[in-house]
Amino acid sequence: MTPGPLFRAVAKRLAGAVAVLLGAATVAFTALQLIPGDPVTVMLGPGTAATPEIKAQIRENYGLDQPVALQYLHYLGNLLQGDLGESYQLQRPVAGLIGDQLWPTVQLALAALALAVVLAVTAAVATAGRRPALRAVATLLELLTVSSPPYWIGILLLTAFSFQLRIFPVAGDQDLSALVLPAVTLALPLTGVLAQVLREGLEAALGQPFAVTARSRGLSVTAVRLKHALRHAAVPLVTLVGWLTGSLLGGAVLVETVFARPGIGALTLQGTTNKDMPLVIGVVLLSAFVFVLLSTLVDLLYTVIDPRLRTG
Amino acid sequence: MPRSVRRPSALIAAAAAGTLLLAGCGSGGGSAAAGGDAAKPVEGGSLTYAVDTEPVSFDIHASSQDITGAIQRNVFDSLVRQDDKGEFHAWLAKTWEVAADLKSYTFHLRDDVKFTDGTVFDAEAVKVNFDRIVAKDTKSQYASSLIGPYTGTDVIDAHTVKVNFSEPFAPFLQAASTPYLGFYSPATIKENGPKLGSGGAVDIGTGPFVFSGYTKGQSAVFTKNPAYNWAPEGSAHQGAPYLDKLTVRFLSESSVRIGALNSGQVQVADAVPPADVKTLKADSRIQLITKATPGANYGLVLNTTQAPLNDPLVRKAVQRGIDVDTDIKSVYFGVYDRAWSPISPTTPYYDASLEKSWPYDQAQSNSLLDQAGWTTRDADGYRTKDGKRLTVEWPLMPAEYVRDQRDTLGTAIQADLKKIGVEITRPRLDIGTYIKKVYAGEEGIADYSWARFEPDVLRLYFNSASDPRKGGQNATFYKDADLDTWTDAGKATLDKAVRQDVYSKTQKKAIDLALFVPLYVRTAVAGAGTDVHGLRSDPNTWLNFYDTWLGK
Repeated sequence: MTPGPLFRAVAKRLAGAVAVLLGAATVAFTALQLIPGDPVTVMLGPGTAATPEIKAQIRENYGLDQPVALQYLHYLGNLLQGDLGESYQLQRPVAGLIGDQLWPTVQLALAALALAVVLAVTAAVATAGRRPALRAVATLLELLTVSSPPYWIGILLLTAFSFQLRIFPVAGDQDLSALVLPAVTLALPLTGVLAQVLREGLEAALGQPFAVTARSRGLSVTAVRLKHALRHAAVPLVTLVGWLTGSLLGGAVLVETVFARPGIGALTLQGTTNKDMPLVIGVVLLSAFVFVLLSTLVDLLYTVIDPRLRTG
Repeated sequence: MPRSVRRPSALIAAAAAGTLLLAGCGSGGGSAAAGGDAAKPVEGGSLTYAVDTEPVSFDIHASSQDITGAIQRNVFDSLVRQDDKGEFHAWLAKTWEVAADLKSYTFHLRDDVKFTDGTVFDAEAVKVNFDRIVAKDTKSQYASSLIGPYTGTDVIDAHTVKVNFSEPFAPFLQAASTPYLGFYSPATIKENGPKLGSGGAVDIGTGPFVFSGYTKGQSAVFTKNPAYNWAPEGSAHQGAPYLDKLTVRFLSESSVRIGALNSGQVQVADAVPPADVKTLKADSRIQLITKATPGANYGLVLNTTQAPLNDPLVRKAVQRGIDVDTDIKSVYFGVYDRAWSPISPTTPYYDASLEKSWPYDQAQSNSLLDQAGWTTRDADGYRTKDGKRLTVEWPLMPAEYVRDQRDTLGTAIQADLKKIGVEITRPRLDIGTYIKKVYAGEEGIADYSWARFEPDVLRLYFNSASDPRKGGQNATFYKDADLDTWTDAGKATLDKAVRQDVYSKTQKKAIDLALFVPLYVRTAVAGAGTDVHGLRSDPNTWLNFYDTWLGK
């Protein structure tokens, strides 16, 4: 019995994923070691009345008085058992903290992603290689959204739709209405980039012979775009997965802060501000995991999008 | 011989007759109560209160954050209450005696107080809580410094405790009036001791509100404690609070807080930035509650162990060469007052005679620097001596630690000092390096403030034993026998005349020696809708929601 090619492929994928996660954990651990100053002093920040005795106690409690190599091994050992440790500052297990804060961020990211994809596809299909005036306007808008800080977009949206018109609540995640403005804020910069990439891909695809063939079979222009060209155009998006993951998580930090939503973004900000090592590493691992998950999904999608990649 | 402290029979009326001191905004001491309180209070309703910071830890005994005390005041009571004048009133303790040597305090507790888990508040509970503050595992960052030289609590009987110290300790009553020395139910300490930082249902006190829910990153919800019947002496009413529900929302962006207040999505917004005060003042639907923060003012702490600031002439020149009035007015829109003393006017034993006593005087600064031998100038216009430029390093912290636009204020100060030929360099350091260098005395200037309703902060700032490497805050590193003697004496007596004398002298001498350049008195400004009544801020500038009610 030899394992089948599928099994081998899956095993390879899994090994790769574990390697990425270990690498991320190591990089995060090293980065935190490189922060100048004594970790406990940095954690407590300036203007604390904590005596040297109290600092020593904190150091001892978290094993920060041990040699770095030992701390690392200890840390890895815990990780392999699935233990992310306890947050220094919040006195709670990191896994629990992340678990509690995960859903609001997932909601936000998915809503933003869906919105961005719909908007980007619409804009690209409508303007690729035609309607020069509309294309110019769309390009200008995309540039604007890409180059405006999400923070600023968020404040503008809040001012208009929450403070003035009072359509949406200011903040929080009480219900879906509170998700609208944050999702739009997070989606807009993504939309700009996605639309530009898609449009270029579309324009390249439409120049290829198959587009003419399809048109000659009596398909409408838009149908050709949606059914055939879009597939080709979607291929470069795969390379954007890493960027997309980063943008969604990075954007979530800002959006969750402005809109005072619970979530991983807010947690990340708190962790980095307080140099809360277990928390920061936990979030880094989560991001790495999301990245691995997304790139695997995209690889699968790839074969769906591009039949040429399906080998028997 | 224990010296008995008589309780002033304070009347409730004074507290209830709150008027809005909008004009008091930026005029230093004014405190204001929200709403015309002449009407009969209405029971019920739910109020949303927006704050700018979310507590890292809700553990009152461990946390050093201001916001933790402000929020937890709703859940935890104290032995005594302190009023705006610094007088103490009964709360969980009906009466108390202070030993003549100030090394022990005896409290006679109320016998009708219950924690919200149904257990009784008694002498044992006081002991358990105070012992927890100094326990190693609590890792207290602030309460342990408030409780000072604590050696233990004796349970005399069910409702009498004696709290002991290794040395005379006058600031204890003030410390005991803060939420940081408040009381958890001993049952929750036993069961959830290490988890009290996470807030929510484990957070059990005797206070007017119960901590009923917490969504991290968003809000904390408090509900009425219907059994509450032990409000401090001097409250506007007795019994349960009026509000059914108090929701604290964490909105770190000031524009979002103000927008939420204006659109009625929150009823009270804290930390109104000076830039928005004028607009809100003009808005008839909004009332402002303002109060100057007590404690040590924000200012420049000059390191006296390093050239060139080891020369008192140069220090004096720097002190008189900054146009504090103009700088503060322009950066803070006239909302914050300029400071004259190391401590703020609302702090007990503030010395008002320092006001206007060291005005901006460029000519004098120039002549002081000439006297000090910095007579030549280089091509950039900076003074030099023996070929060396007159340069002082004043590092900047990372942006996330900078509050109140202190970096902008720093730029104005840099420009002022350039006019008298002094160069101020401001490298931005990461926080680890910043703390290491500043607290080891390797930098020229440090800048900070320290809020506390107690002149003992002068000891923290100017006593040579208050070493920054040991949790102290004396980054001047100056050793002066008088300053040490006076601040030690102030800590060891409750005699008002003696305290007035030593603290006055300390404030004057710190300015005379130019150890410190006070810059501004921070004014806490909160905004509230006009339907909010009876909202007042306590001496720590924290809003007290116990007497608050929602009307029309």
